[in-house]
Amino acid sequence: MKSSPARLERRCALLLLVFLSIAGKAADYQLALPGYHYQFPRDNFNHSAYRTEWWYYTGNVTSSSGHRFGFELTFFRQGISLEANRSPWYVHDLYMAHFALSDLSGHRYEHAERINRAGPGIAGIDAARQVIWNGNWRAHIGERSQQLQAITDAFGIDLSLASAKPLIVQGRGGISRKAAGIGHASHYVSLTRLLTSGSVRLNGADYRVTGTSWMDHEFFTGSMSSDESGWDWISLQFDNNTELMLYRMRHKDGTIDPFSSGSYVDASGRTTFLSASDFSMQPEDDLWMSPKTKGRYPLRWQISVPRFGLEGTVTTALRNQELTSKFGPSYWEGATVAAANQSGVSLHGVGYLEMTGYAAGAANTKFP
Amino acid sequence: MSSPDTSSFSFPAQSGSRQPTLSLESVIKDYTTETEPVRALDNVSLQIGTGRFVALVGRSGCGKSTLLHLAGAMDFPTGGRVVLDGVSTDRLTEPELTQLRREKVGFVFQSFQLLHTLSVAENVELPLLLAGHAHPRPGALEQLASVGLADLADRMPHQLSGGQMQRVAIARALVHGPRILLADEPTGNLDSVTGNSILELLRRISSEHNTTILMATHNAEFASLVDAVVRMRDGRIEEVAVR
Amino acid sequence: MSHLSIFFRLIVRPMLRERARSLLMLSAVALGVAIVLAIDLAGDAAAGSFHSSLQALAGDDNFEVTADGGVPESIVGDLARLPWPIRVTPRIEDHATVAASGETIPLIGIDFIAQANDPDEVQLGAPNDTSIFDDINSPDAIWTTRSLSDRIGSTVTLVINDHKHAYTVRGFIPTSARFGGDVAVMDIDAAQRATGKAGRVDRILLKVPDQPGFAEWQQRLLAVLPAGVQLLPQGSETAANRRMLAAFRWNLRILSYIALLVGAFLIYNTVSVSVVRRRVEIGTVRALGACRRAVLLAFLAEAAIFGVAGTLLALPLGRLLADGAVRVLSTTVNALYVSSQPGTVGLSTGSVVMAFIVGIGVAVASALAPAREAALVPPTEAMARGRREYAIRVERGRDALLAFLLAIAAAFAARLPPVGGKPLFGYIAALLLVAASAFAIPALVTVLMPLLSAVLTKLLGVEALLAARSLGGSLRRTSVLVAMLSTAIAMMTAVGIMVGSFRQTVVIWMERQLPADLYLRPAGEPGGDRFPTIRPELADSIAMLPGIAAISRFRAYQIEYQGLPAILASVDLGPSQARDGTEFLSGRPSSVVLSQLDAGDSAIVSEPFANKHHVHTGDLLTLPMGVRAASFRVVGIFYDYGDEAGIVLLARSTMLRYLPDKAASSLAIYLAPGANLETARAEIRKAATGRDVLLLANGEIRRQGIRTFDQTFAITYALEAVAIIVAVLGIAGALISIVIDRRREFGLLRFLGAASSQIRRLILIEAGLIGILANIVGLALGYLLSLILIYVINKQSFGWTIRFHWPVSVLVAALSGVYLATVLAGLYPASIAQRLNPIEVIHEE
Repeated sequence: MKSSPARLERRCALLLLVFLSIAGKAADYQLALPGYHYQFPRDNFNHSAYRTEWWYYTGNVTSSSGHRFGFELTFFRQGISLEANRSPWYVHDLYMAHFALSDLSGHRYEHAERINRAGPGIAGIDAARQVIWNGNWRAHIGERSQQLQAITDAFGIDLSLASAKPLIVQGRGGISRKAAGIGHASHYVSLTRLLTSGSVRLNGADYRVTGTSWMDHEFFTGSMSSDESGWDWISLQFDNNTELMLYRMRHKDGTIDPFSSGSYVDASGRTTFLSASDFSMQPEDDLWMSPKTKGRYPLRWQISVPRFGLEGTVTTALRNQELTSKFGPSYWEGATVAAANQSGVSLHGVGYLEMTGYAAGAANTKFP
Repeated sequence: MSSPDTSSFSFPAQSGSRQPTLSLESVIKDYTTETEPVRALDNVSLQIGTGRFVALVGRSGCGKSTLLHLAGAMDFPTGGRVVLDGVSTDRLTEPELTQLRREKVGFVFQSFQLLHTLSVAENVELPLLLAGHAHPRPGALEQLASVGLADLADRMPHQLSGGQMQRVAIARALVHGPRILLADEPTGNLDSVTGNSILELLRRISSEHNTTILMATHNAEFASLVDAVVRMRDGRIEEVAVR
Repeated sequence: MSHLSIFFRLIVRPMLRERARSLLMLSAVALGVAIVLAIDLAGDAAAGSFHSSLQALAGDDNFEVTADGGVPESIVGDLARLPWPIRVTPRIEDHATVAASGETIPLIGIDFIAQANDPDEVQLGAPNDTSIFDDINSPDAIWTTRSLSDRIGSTVTLVINDHKHAYTVRGFIPTSARFGGDVAVMDIDAAQRATGKAGRVDRILLKVPDQPGFAEWQQRLLAVLPAGVQLLPQGSETAANRRMLAAFRWNLRILSYIALLVGAFLIYNTVSVSVVRRRVEIGTVRALGACRRAVLLAFLAEAAIFGVAGTLLALPLGRLLADGAVRVLSTTVNALYVSSQPGTVGLSTGSVVMAFIVGIGVAVASALAPAREAALVPPTEAMARGRREYAIRVERGRDALLAFLLAIAAAFAARLPPVGGKPLFGYIAALLLVAASAFAIPALVTVLMPLLSAVLTKLLGVEALLAARSLGGSLRRTSVLVAMLSTAIAMMTAVGIMVGSFRQTVVIWMERQLPADLYLRPAGEPGGDRFPTIRPELADSIAMLPGIAAISRFRAYQIEYQGLPAILASVDLGPSQARDGTEFLSGRPSSVVLSQLDAGDSAIVSEPFANKHHVHTGDLLTLPMGVRAASFRVVGIFYDYGDEAGIVLLARSTMLRYLPDKAASSLAIYLAPGANLETARAEIRKAATGRDVLLLANGEIRRQGIRTFDQTFAITYALEAVAIIVAVLGIAGALISIVIDRRREFGLLRFLGAASSQIRRLILIEAGLIGILANIVGLALGYLLSLILIYVINKQSFGWTIRFHWPVSVLVAALSGVYLATVLAGLYPASIAQRLNPIEVIHEE
C-alpha cells in the first residue's frame, strides 16, 4: 500500500470508527440467545436478522516437495439496514473479506482484503446455490465437502475441503458467550477437521498441496461488552485425530473475562465444552511488535487442559502474520505448530492463532 | 535683408495695351529648410507685356524655377506681389487660384510630362476636361494642328519622339487659351536640331497668338528668337538684355 | 559587395524609411498567422484534446463495456466473479442541470464502496474524511466540486430528467486537472434511482493485469460477455467523439487559412511595388558587383524577417483570440456534439513551431515571384534618368490559358471521393479555383476596364477617365489588388451562400418534419449527447387530456456505432400525422415507408448515418442492445439535419421489445381539430406541475432550432470579417503606395488646372473601381466556391444534402458593406494625394 504507516494507522483507527458508525442500529437486529434451533444445511448460510456474521477458514497445507503454507480466507457480513428496498444496489449489508497466505517455508506473508456491497451479484450468500462469495473469492459449502477459491494478482488458492469430523455447535445452550449479560454471545459452529487438497499459487509458482483446514461460522449482534478490548483464539488439530479450540476475552484493564471458553473434540467426534476454569492459555514473553500498527503480539503460548491431560506450547514459524486492514481492525492471524504432551504421550499439532485488539488505537475500540 | 533696389525691369507689350500680362513687384520668396531659411528670390521686380517672348537664364539654383512658379500662381511670394493679367494672386483662395490657372496659365516642362495612359488627343484636351468642358475634342485637335501633329491624335505618347512629345505638351499648354505660357527648360531633353524647332514654334506662338511666353533655359540658340533675356543670379535679376 | 551590405542598402534602409509599408506587411503576416493559430489552439481546446465530461473521475482502465440503452447490471456481478484479478468499475453517467445557474453538469454514479478497494481509484473526500460512509443509502447525498458549493451540508437543487430535487452536499471531490468544470457524484444506487435507469448501468470500466496482454484479455472477456454488450478499449467514446469533431475542426482550420491567403496577396503586392520603386537601387547594387542571387536572397530575407516578426506578434495575439474563440467553439461543440468542458488553451511548442512555419512560409512564398523579378533588374537601371512608370509585361494570354486549365483541374478534383473521411479533394478544388481566378483577372480587367471607363466617365467625369486609365495601365498591380480583395469577397460570398442554403434547407425541413402543434421535453439545455427523459406517467396523462388528439413519444439513446457516435431512437407511429412529413432519399412516400417500420425488426437511418457508415436500404444493422444483439433491416434513408451524428430510428413498439424503459425523451402533441392552442397549453402545464419540463409550440421549436444553427456559424462570420479587414487594409496600403508612386502625375494635374478636390475624387474613384472589379470577380468565384462547399465539402464531411439557395438580402448587404469599406479605405490615401505640393513633386528626377 502506498500510505505511510502513520497515515495508515490513522486511517485504520478512523475507519474503525467508520465501521462502528455505519453499522446498523443494534436494536434492529437479533441477539444470540439460548435455545436456537440449528438446522443444517440452512444454518450454513445467511442470517440476515443478526447484524454481524462471518465464515472463517484457516488451514495448514504442505506441497509434495515439503513447502509449507498457512492460509486464511474469511467472509464477513455487517448489517447496515433492514429497510425493505428492492434495488440490488441498496446497501443492506457490507461484505468484507480477508485473504492471507503465509509462506512458512519461504518466510513470507501476503494478505489482501476487500469490501463490497451485494449489488447485482457482486458479493453475498446464496443458500440455493450454496455459495458465499465476495467478487471472485468464494466458498461453496456442499453436503460433504466445500470448495474454496480466492485469487489476487500475487497469490491464490483453489482448495477442496472434505469434512472428517461432523459440524459442532460451540458453547453451551447453543450460544458461545463472550461476556456477562444477555446478547454478549454468538451462535458459533465449527468444522474442526477438513481434509484439504488443491493448489496454492504464489508469485507465479503453483504448488499442489494437501493438509487440514478449520472452518468457523459465527453470527451475532454485539457479542463483546464495552469493557473488553479483544481476544486471543487458538485452534489446534493434533496428529491423534483430536482438536482443541480455546479463546480468552481480554478486558481493557488487563483481566481475562470469566466467559472465556473452549472446546475439545475427541477422535470419535464427541465434543466437550471447556469453561474458563477448565483450561489455561498463557502468553509467554516472546513478543513481536508490528512495525505498522505498533501492536505487541505474544507469539508463544502455553496451553493446558488438565481434564484431558493435555499441555503444550504453541509457536509459529513466521512472526509477521498480521493482517493490517483498511476497513476494520488489524489483527494477528497465523499458522502455528503445537508441541504437546497428552498423558505422557507426545503430540504434535498444527493450527491457527488469532490475536485481536493489540493494534494501536484498538485499545479504546469495540469490535461489534 | 533685401539688397538695394535692382533694376526693376519692365517690358511692355508690343501692341498698345497698357496692362502688363505679368507683373512681379518687389517679390521675395523664402523657403524654410532644416538648417536655415533660403532666399530663392530677393526683391525681384519684373513686368512683361502681352505677346512677349522672354528668356530667363542663370545657373541652377539662381531662382528661375521659383520665379516661374510664382508667375504661374502655383505658389505665393513671401514678400511683394505677383499680378497676373491684372489680378493679384496674394488675396486669392485655393479654388480661385485654380480658376486663375485654368484661364490664364499654361505650363511646359523639360520632361514633357505627358500621361502615358492617355492618347495624344486626350493629353491635349486634359486641361479642358479638368476645367469641366463638355466637348474639348475639337479644340484639342485644333491645337494639335497648330503644332503640326494633327495626324498623331490617336497615338499613344510612347510612340512619339521627344520633339513630338514636347509639341503635344505645348498644344496641351495652349488648348485653354492662356495669356501666359511658362516653359521650364523646354528643350533640355531634346537634341539641338529638335530643340531649335521647338524654340521656333514658341516664337511663332508668341507672335501669332499674342501669348506671353516666359521661358527658363540653358539653350544658347535662343538669342535670336527671344525678345529679351533676363539673367538671374542668387535670386536677383542681374542683367536684362533687350533685342 | 558583401551580402550584408547589399541587404542593408536594398532592404533595411527602405524598410526603416517606409514605415507605413513595413507596418502593413507586418500586420498582414501577424493577423493572418494569429487567426490560423487562434483557430488551431481554440479548436484543440474545445474539440481536439477534450474529454467528454462523462469521463470525469474515470481511472486508468483498459476496457469499457457498453450496450445500447445501457448495460444490464447483472453483468457487473458476472464480471466481478470472474476468476481473474480484474478491477470492475460500474458507472452511471448522466447529466443534471443546476437549478440556480442553469449550468448542465455531468452526474456520475459510482459504487464508492467498491472504489475504496483500490487506492489508485479516485477516492471521495480527503484521506481522513470518513463522512462518505455515513451516507450510504441516502438518496439525497451528493459529492461535488468546491466551485459548485462551498459548504458541506448545503443543498444544491438539481434538475435530472424532468424533476427537480434538492440534494445535500456531503463532501467534496478533487477537481481533476483534466476535466475541470463542475461535477455531481452520487452513490450508484441513488444515481440509478435519480436518473430512472433501473436495472442498467451506463458503462462498466475494467482494469486488467498487464499479463497476458491486451489482445488475450479482450478474447477472454468477449468469451464470457453476452452478445448484447460491446467490449471496447477504454476511451473509445472519447475517440469516437473526437473523430466526429475532426471534420468540424478541419473545416474551421481551412477557413482560417483564408485570412492568411489574403495576407499572401497583400505581401506579394507590396513586395512587387517595392521592387519597382527600388529599381534604381537594385541597378546600382548590381552595377557595384552584386550578383543576381544576392538580390534574390535579399528580398527573400526581407520577407523572412517580416515572417518572423509578424509571427512573433501573432503569438500573443493568436493566444488572446483563442481565448475568445474557445468559448464560442465550446458552445457549439456542446450544443451539437457532446457535453464537454473545454480544455485549457495552451501555446504548445508544436503550435509555436507551426505558426513560424506558416508565417515565414507564406511570407517567403508570396515574395518569391517579385524577388525573382528584382534579381532580373539589369545594372543599367542605375543610370535611369527620370522615373518612368515601368509596366511589367503581363502575359495575359498565357495567364488566361493557365486559368482555364486550373479551372478544369478544379472541376475534376471536385468529383473525387473523400480521403479518410475528409474532403481533401474538395479543398484542393477550392484552392485551384482561387488560383484560376487570380490568373484570369488580368484578362478580365483588360476586357472590363474600357467598358467601366466609358460608363463611369459619362457619369463622373474626367477623374473616372484618369482613374480607369491608370488602373488599366498598371495591369499587374491592379490585378493583384483585385485578386486580394476578390478572394476575401469570394470567401464571404461562398460561405454566405452555403450558410444561407443550409439555413433554408433546415427551415424547410423543420417545417415538414415538425408537424405537431406542441412539443414537450425536459427543461435544461439540449445538447449533442444529452437525452433527459420524461416519466411515462406524464405522457399517459397528457394523452388523456381533452383537446389532445394524439401524442407521439420519442425516445433517444446515445450510442456508438463503428467507432463514431450515433443516436438510437424510437418514435410512436400511432398517430397518423406522425407518419407524414419525413422525406426519404428514395423519394418513396413517408407514410408507406413508416408503415414498413412498424412491422417487424425494421429501422430507418438518417442520411448522415448512411453516408458515414456506408449503409443502404436493405442492409441489416446489428446493434448490441443489452443482453442480446438485435438486427434490424433498413427500409429507408431519410433526410435529417438535426444531428450530424446520424440516427437509427425504430418504431416505438420495436424498441420496447429490447429496451423496455417506457420513459420518453420528448413528446409530440397533436391537438384535436378546433382545439384552442392556449387552452391546451394551460392544461398540459397543469398536468405537468411538479415536473421540470419545457412546452414549446411548433413555431418556437423552429425558432430555437434556427438560433442554434446561427450560433454555430458565429465563428465562421468572425473569420470572414478578419479576411475582409485584411483585404481592405491591403487596399488602403496599396492605394497609399499608388499615390506615392504617382505623385508627379498628381502634381502635373495640379499644374494643368486640377483642383485638389479633383485629385481626391480620382483616388476615391480608383478605390471604387477596384471595388467593383473585386465584387464582380468575387461574386463569380464565390458562387463557384459555394458549389464546392455545398456539394462536395459539406456532403463529404458531414453527409447531408443541402439545397442551393441564394440568400439575396444577406449577400446584397454584405457586398455593399464591403464596397463601402473599400471606398472608405481610399479616404486616407486620397487626403495624402490632396495635400501633395505640386511644386515639390514635379521636379523630382
